[in-house]
Amino acid sequence: MLTVLITVIIYALIIAYSLGAVLYFVGAKTEKRKLLHTARTMAVTGCILNLLAIIVRTIIAGRLPLANGCEFMLWFTWITVLLYLIYETKSQVKDAGGVVMLIVAVLSIIVAVLMRGQFGVATPLMPALKSPWLTVHVITAAAAYAGFALAAGLAVMQLIKADKRVSEESVYRVVAGGFVMLSLTIVLGAIWAEQAWGSYWTWDPKETWALVTWLIYALYLHLQRRLKWKGKTASIMVVAGFILVLFTFFGVNYLLPGLHSYAGVWVAPVMITA
Amino acid sequence: MDAVKRIYRFLSSMKTGLTLLVLVGLASALGSAFLPDTFFDTLFFKLLLIFLLINMLLCTANRLIIFKSGFQIKIKRGWAKHIGGLLLHIGIVLILAGLIMNTYSGESGQIRIQTGDHVGVSNTITVKKPFSLQLDEFKMEFHEDGSPSQYYSYVTVLENDEAVERAVISVNHPLKHNGVKFYQQSYGHLIKAKHMDAAGNEVEDLINEGKFLTLQGTERLVKVYRYLPNFDPDQGMTSKTMRPDNPRIVFSVYENDKVLGVGAAEFGERVKIDDGVYVVFTGVEPFTVLKAKSDPGLPLAAGGGVVFIIGISLALLVAPARRKNMS
Repeated sequence: MLTVLITVIIYALIIAYSLGAVLYFVGAKTEKRKLLHTARTMAVTGCILNLLAIIVRTIIAGRLPLANGCEFMLWFTWITVLLYLIYETKSQVKDAGGVVMLIVAVLSIIVAVLMRGQFGVATPLMPALKSPWLTVHVITAAAAYAGFALAAGLAVMQLIKADKRVSEESVYRVVAGGFVMLSLTIVLGAIWAEQAWGSYWTWDPKETWALVTWLIYALYLHLQRRLKWKGKTASIMVVAGFILVLFTFFGVNYLLPGLHSYAGVWVAPVMITA
Repeated sequence: MDAVKRIYRFLSSMKTGLTLLVLVGLASALGSAFLPDTFFDTLFFKLLLIFLLINMLLCTANRLIIFKSGFQIKIKRGWAKHIGGLLLHIGIVLILAGLIMNTYSGESGQIRIQTGDHVGVSNTITVKKPFSLQLDEFKMEFHEDGSPSQYYSYVTVLENDEAVERAVISVNHPLKHNGVKFYQQSYGHLIKAKHMDAAGNEVEDLINEGKFLTLQGTERLVKVYRYLPNFDPDQGMTSKTMRPDNPRIVFSVYENDKVLGVGAAEFGERVKIDDGVYVVFTGVEPFTVLKAKSDPGLPLAAGGGVVFIIGISLALLVAPARRKNMS
């Protein structure tokens, strides 16, 4: 019953996000305010459905849904849209809506295709995840990823339209916010790892790639502010950074298994010595 | 003099620092893809990190000097950005210093203790005052679906054979004693076996998984392969879950290096090995595997983490944007 409900909600939010993307693109091209207004309504609808999906998942799992890939993705897309809507309201610039909605639509489709099996199953937490650090570590990670997704959407607009309305200052500020969140994620993760595994840094693939992602944004922040690198190079770095973010999530979960492989099947939390 | 100045300028410049960031990033990415187990211990990578540490140290020192001389003018505008920037770099320097300290003076190792036994910690890592850990009980808890919920090691800390502390170690809840931290890392089981020969002699054994039982009155050998807490014929050698719902001992019988048969015996089941020779697996005895660790660099790294987070929040969240270009 709940499985059917969450599946329906997720399909509905995919439709809302996809429609939103199309309407934003067409509206920006034709400069029709009505289309852009409907696009925003779609984004808001998708955002509400996304929140509903998180709530239903909470009921199914019997805990805050912060453990597996599907659960994380729901937070990731939800915060991305939320941040975008805040940005749109504050700046009154709707140009990046198409790209941002496209990103969340594609991410949601990936959830529906790859992580379908996780929707309705009440997976209890393994011992290593039983910690108050789980909540803050995962939510800051989702917020960081979401910030970088929005920044990438804005940067893409700058690249393809040389858009003056999307200001470089706002991209910088969104990246800066995401960067603080990523820093928090890494530090909180390190504190937790010290408690659970006995060392705060082990060069586990997830840690390493989170660091690589952190480094590229650190580089961007320095170059942008200190050496006044602006324009194309800066935008390309923001987009490249987001590609690294996606790799840190998908690539590491599926290609480079390590201590963070919670995405798929049940993984033995402690190895068994023979 | 000029050369020294030039080297200093090179080492402390931000361009050098940023180049090092790129190098650390590239090296980490390639290292984790191609040499995940060894790369981060190589001298090359360590040197890279030490270089970065020196650069950030000098860079921060330079900033501090500039900051001090320009203090009066700058304090009114963007104080958070300047103090934050300084703090965040100091934080990273402290974290790196802690990490390096741990590499050279930290220690860690595994301690395996059987129920009822005690093991000296100094066998595994250096301690100032010797003490040992005794395992009173090892317990597992399970979720409804049979997946593990928590592992508990009930231990007593002994100093000079005297109990000084009792504690429960579980995943996410390590024990700290005399500067050493103990983590629940793994566990296993020893298998209890009773065997009888034709003459009616009974011998009891406690045996590790994968080891051979030597029996009297027969040429045949019994390899005690594995303990499966939840045996399922469809899944063969893998236990369905770790919960002991259907415990079996998987064993094989050999004669002259040839396998005569494989079986999965229940506890208490009399297994005939040869004429008059029987084996009965009577149960299992759990042991715990703890990770013991000492890290003198940890307070430095932890302090660095706090300073870093305060700094980065001040620099990037509190500080107002330099120019407002929003139209």
